Amino acid sequence: MVVKVLYFGRLKEIAGSSEESVEVREGERIEELFARCSSSRPELRKFRSSLVAARNREFAAWDTALSGGDEVGFLPPVSGG
Amino acid sequence: MTAAHSQDRIELTREVIPHAAIAREVRANEDGAVATFDGCVRNHSHGRSTLYLEYEAYESMALAKMREIAEHLHGSFAINRVAIVHRLGRLEIGETSVFIAVSAAHRAAAFDACRNAIDTLKKTVPIWKKEFFADGAVWADGELPPAPAAAETPAAKPASN
Repeated sequence: MVVKVLYFGRLKEIAGSSEESVEVREGERIEELFARCSSSRPELRKFRSSLVAARNREFAAWDTALSGGDEVGFLPPVSGG
Repeated sequence: MTAAHSQDRIELTREVIPHAAIAREVRANEDGAVATFDGCVRNHSHGRSTLYLEYEAYESMALAKMREIAEHLHGSFAINRVAIVHRLGRLEIGETSVFIAVSAAHRAAAFDACRNAIDTLKKTVPIWKKEFFADGAVWADGELPPAPAAAETPAAKPASN
């Protein structure tokens, strides 16, 4: 199954992309998806402890299991206002 | 949303924020107070002179989180209408980046709700600011939003039949 992954702020620059479609296995967790996305991007991996994940526009725990078509955002600390 | 809350104005915009018009819009005849917060672009950051800022957002989620803030205000304070408008794109020194207006019958609720809205926005709404200086640019330090520590498991829910 395929999920949509979104990167924002400095993560977008590190990932070199703002959006990608990623093939994942059934029931894959967000933690595993991030490991998959950062496996070829060591700079991205360093940010694991300073970002939060969102699934379908809601903050989500790292052990959240994914479904096909989910939209997953990796969000660095927010600085609006 | 209830009918009253449909008067709220929750927006992201790339245009100049019409703050005077927004402050007028939230006011109704039953209101005795309008509290506003005008967040504007400062000309310095950590001792460096700022040239301009760029804001970006996870727009669909940011709007959802801004609507949640407005709903929370209606449930927590004796207020009437809420406006929360955040600008995106390039902003020059002195321009308004975020404008919040809350109307209420009495001032305490308007002040408290307005303060709560900007404090919550800065912690939970997925918007990011990049600061441009003469010698480079940096993403502003921000706050990591609180996220659930563990996913809800279906097994934890009581059986319904």
